[in-house]
Amino acid sequence: MNEKSGFEPKIVAFLCKWTTYAAADLCGVSRMPYPPNISIIRVNCTGEITADMILSAFEDGVDGILIGGCRPGHCRYEDSNLKGSNRVYLLKRALKEFGLNPERIREVGIAGAQGLIFQRAVEKFTADIRALGPSPVTDHA
Amino acid sequence: MDKLKIGIYWAAACGGCDCSLLEVNEQILDVAAGADILLWPCATDAKYDDLRGYSDRELDIVLFNGAIRTEENRDMAQLIRAKTKRLVAYGACAHTGGVIGLANLSTRAEIFTTVFGAEKEWPQALSNQAGHQLHLPAFLDHLTPLSDVVDVDYVIPGCPPPRKIVSEFFSALLAGDLPEPGAVFAAEKNLCDECEREREHTQITHILRVHEASPDPEKCLLDQGFLCMGPATRGGCGAVCPNANMPCTGCAGAPADVSDQGTAMLNTLASLVGTGAEGEDQIEGENAILEQIDDVIGTFYRYAAAKSLFGRRYREQHGQTN
Repeated sequence: MNEKSGFEPKIVAFLCKWTTYAAADLCGVSRMPYPPNISIIRVNCTGEITADMILSAFEDGVDGILIGGCRPGHCRYEDSNLKGSNRVYLLKRALKEFGLNPERIREVGIAGAQGLIFQRAVEKFTADIRALGPSPVTDHA
Repeated sequence: MDKLKIGIYWAAACGGCDCSLLEVNEQILDVAAGADILLWPCATDAKYDDLRGYSDRELDIVLFNGAIRTEENRDMAQLIRAKTKRLVAYGACAHTGGVIGLANLSTRAEIFTTVFGAEKEWPQALSNQAGHQLHLPAFLDHLTPLSDVVDVDYVIPGCPPPRKIVSEFFSALLAGDLPEPGAVFAAEKNLCDECEREREHTQITHILRVHEASPDPEKCLLDQGFLCMGPATRGGCGAVCPNANMPCTGCAGAPADVSDQGTAMLNTLASLVGTGAEGEDQIEGENAILEQIDDVIGTFYRYAAAKSLFGRRYREQHGQTN
């Protein structure tokens, strides 16, 4: 997909409150700017994000979904983050068949102290989604 | 008491739903005694003009099977809706789009190319055949369940609807004891609720397809690695498939409190797989198990692709991305 001029992607970020959300918080209190394209939804664990939540977000006109949780083995709830990751893995396969680019979903594992990494991750994801262009689902929302 | 006036119609369907009506055996005689069948293309000779001749809401109830695939299907659905007091979405295709809803993953052009070959071979809506003008109903861009084109009063799910449910429906109909519109003739809960197999909550370590092994008849099929749609499927059929040692394929659609059958099953399955490994190895191991699922949409959305959260909207743009 070609770069669309003037297109500002809408991105929803589901962030685990223990790690990536804390990193976003750190970004904020450190006055490290990141693109305003993302709307953050704080969750207890990425394991509670269901496939329907992601599909509903796309249906509501979101162009990309960022999922930020703990790195493998660091989950507060045993292996719940990995179960969430399994869902995303399966859902991406389903999205491909439904004709939507699975790159519109990205998972990151960022620790609470890594504000800088969060900032860069958001910048990178926003740029990548901007390059992908508007979600085709958006046209009909 | 006056006889009931009923109709049975098929749209984009295989004919199995019409057959399933006869599965009620001798009860069909009670139906014939208590009701006049004014429309049933599969079995009677009523013409469309006969139907057009009835006054509005003259029929008491129409069982509509099949999905909306062509203009004719859509126009007939609208005509029938005008002529009947109650309309029933009968069977998976009318209810959720059914197996043929998977066609929504392809564009109209792709389907025609596969079936008819080069574009010049495609059937035309208007053509001259031996001096006569032939009009074929247009093939719609997307297939939809019945409820997408008209209001539906009742749903009888299943592919085809199981005997027990059809029989209960006829009993209620003949006794004048139909529930309030909006009712679904099946259970509220999922299939597992009525399945007698033993569930041990073991982790799924490999995915099996039915031709690869014989399931243990006592244990939960999911525990054994067979992709049984039971957790995300409405019960009410009496778990006929699991009882016959076959996994549920999900024909009855999502349970009452679930909006999207495929994602519900996807969520469930993602939490069930496991290898016992931890950390990075765990992700790789579990993803490798999920990779064994050959056909994600065909498994999770076998009957509900046309009614899915996503298939419903996104199919309009299919093929124009990436």
